[in-house]
Amino acid sequence: MIAAFSPFLAWRYFVQRRINWLSTAGVMFAVWAMLLVDSVFTGFVSSIRQDVANSSPHLLVTDLPHDTDYQVLQPVIEAVEGVASSAPRLRHYGLLQPLRAPQTINRSGSSQIDFDHARSGFALLLGVDPARELATGNLRDWLARESPFGTGSSPLQGNRLEQYPFADVDERQFGFFGLPGAVDWAARKRAGLPIEPDVTDHRSNTPGVLFGYERALRLPWLRHGDPMELVCVSFTEAGGKVTLHTHPSRVAFAGCYATGHRGFDEPTVLLPIETLRTMLGADAADPDSVALVTDVAVRVRESVGPDALPALQRRLRDAVQKALGGKTCSVLDWREQNPVMLGAIASEQAMMQFVLFVVMIVAATVIFATLHLMVVQKTRDIGILASLGGSPRSIGAVFLGNGFAVAAIGTVLGVALGVVSVRFLNPVNEWLYATCGLELFPRALFDLSGIPVRLEPSWIASVAIGAMLLSLFVAWLPARKAARLHPVQALSHE
Amino acid sequence: MSAPVLEAIAVTKDYRLGKQPIPVLRGIDLAVQPGEKLALLGTSGAGKSTLLHVLGLLDAPTTGEIRYDGERVDQRSVAERARLRHRQIGFVFQFYHLIPELTALQNVMLSGMMATSVLQYWGVRKAAKAAAIAMLEKVGLGHRLHHRPAELSGGERQRVAIARALVAEPRVILADEPTGNLDSQTANGVVELMFSIQRERGLAFVLVTHDENLARRCDRIVRLRDGAVVT
Repeated sequence: MIAAFSPFLAWRYFVQRRINWLSTAGVMFAVWAMLLVDSVFTGFVSSIRQDVANSSPHLLVTDLPHDTDYQVLQPVIEAVEGVASSAPRLRHYGLLQPLRAPQTINRSGSSQIDFDHARSGFALLLGVDPARELATGNLRDWLARESPFGTGSSPLQGNRLEQYPFADVDERQFGFFGLPGAVDWAARKRAGLPIEPDVTDHRSNTPGVLFGYERALRLPWLRHGDPMELVCVSFTEAGGKVTLHTHPSRVAFAGCYATGHRGFDEPTVLLPIETLRTMLGADAADPDSVALVTDVAVRVRESVGPDALPALQRRLRDAVQKALGGKTCSVLDWREQNPVMLGAIASEQAMMQFVLFVVMIVAATVIFATLHLMVVQKTRDIGILASLGGSPRSIGAVFLGNGFAVAAIGTVLGVALGVVSVRFLNPVNEWLYATCGLELFPRALFDLSGIPVRLEPSWIASVAIGAMLLSLFVAWLPARKAARLHPVQALSHE
Repeated sequence: MSAPVLEAIAVTKDYRLGKQPIPVLRGIDLAVQPGEKLALLGTSGAGKSTLLHVLGLLDAPTTGEIRYDGERVDQRSVAERARLRHRQIGFVFQFYHLIPELTALQNVMLSGMMATSVLQYWGVRKAAKAAAIAMLEKVGLGHRLHHRPAELSGGERQRVAIARALVAEPRVILADEPTGNLDSQTANGVVELMFSIQRERGLAFVLVTHDENLARRCDRIVRLRDGAVVT
């Protein structure tokens, strides 16, 4: 039994001895920091994970053998229970050079050497079947992504960039990311290419390429329809000799897309898969050629929950491998498609939480130091309480109760301050920007309209419980010391 | 003669200085009758305070026995000795030993909170407060209830300590040089107060002092020298 004097005296000590307020402030600021910093980081991580997920199909069949034919795989894949649709993808790399762009000359004036993806023209080419990709992946969202700036415009328009005019093209044109005839006609005229005398007679047949808006941002002079030279390179080996082949093609800049995942948007250029296949020697017009793919994007039926996904992955992999005559392949979910990115942010989050835990340890150390000091200062009181009939356990409970008051009040204040800070972080940021030009968070750098904050109730509970337990633990040590003091020695303490 | 309320039988107490035992009490035999005023008289270092601590169960004898109402209590557990201390014994110290963060009233009320749980105390809190106020009024401090020790004079502090010792209605008062820190006039007032309450309640009273005059006002004097009873 804890005697009534324990909580009574614990509270009086807490109120009367201002050093306790210091400890309370320490706990409060530690809890506040843990909530605020983690909520901002969680907001960032959620935003990044959402963008990464948005840039990836539900499942991706990849690591396929060379010369894999989508015509063979499609019925096999779509026959697997749980698969809604599939879309072929062909990955390669190439160089893009706008015909009317000024040559980028380095300072020596010799040749074009530039390590910037966009300006050098190097691109990861992703050939897609627009119609199938629309049904299977997130292409529709990529082409009409809501603006993170919250102005009603897209990030592309917000940066005066041109989105692919999805609403203004018909199905035929969309099949090769073509542009409206008038747009193509005007662009060809700008570039000095042969054109029909009358714009109404012109039909665009030039395949379009779509730039991620991160890339297009670096080429602000690009206009819809600007013709570009696309060159791919491949190698063949015969008789121990390697031969390099270049595959040029004429394409047009058709606009931008945005997944929000910078690591995808910046290097990747979308183009019709048929164009890329033809460049790589699998001409669509040739009846002997195969519908070349390097990957197949798969849309999973909504009825397949996250728990059922691994089983579906296994079924899909087994079916595809059987169709490939036993050759291996991989079936990846969106996390497995982006392991480095997600692993990095998970690692950063863990490190950040560790740093915050250290902050909490510092606060706990302050409590320990305060209570330890108090036990030393109140040694005579401990003797007095013993002489009045206080049991060692109840005497220890005085100091444990004092620590509990520090922890509880500090935690409650810290949680309240944290919740309020998270709630008003963006208004304060906006107010600072409007009045002083200060930005706590550089919006342009992250392409976000505000500081992404996300305060999870489970995190609040974890922090509050953790702070309480840690504080009680460090309070228990001096409390135990108080309980073990000999009454006579305590009474004679100077 | 009635049975003694408090007895020390062949009590010895050694302290250790390194490996060397230092005898402080050497076979003390003592019996205190109910309502008796007993003075423990001796020079500094005679073992008076140590004996008082042993009698008050704050310290354990090295050998010998402490009995309350004929029952041996020195071998009981720490918690049981604490309970017994609360029920049977009231301490008054030379340096008052009040809790500085508490008012006079709270210091006295503290005694009532020692042996009850929070819930038990909640039920009797008004009665406990009334008893504490009544006790402070009895020692002449009805007008100083809400003053902290730092705001009270030495005599007033000792009166608060006396009120605190008495409010739990103990059967034995152990006073360690209660007037040692007071001027003679204040000391006389404090002694009168203690003795009047002692008479009124029939308490056993053990007074440690080196003041011969004060000792003579008690019913019996036990002289200590070098840890042993002389007379």
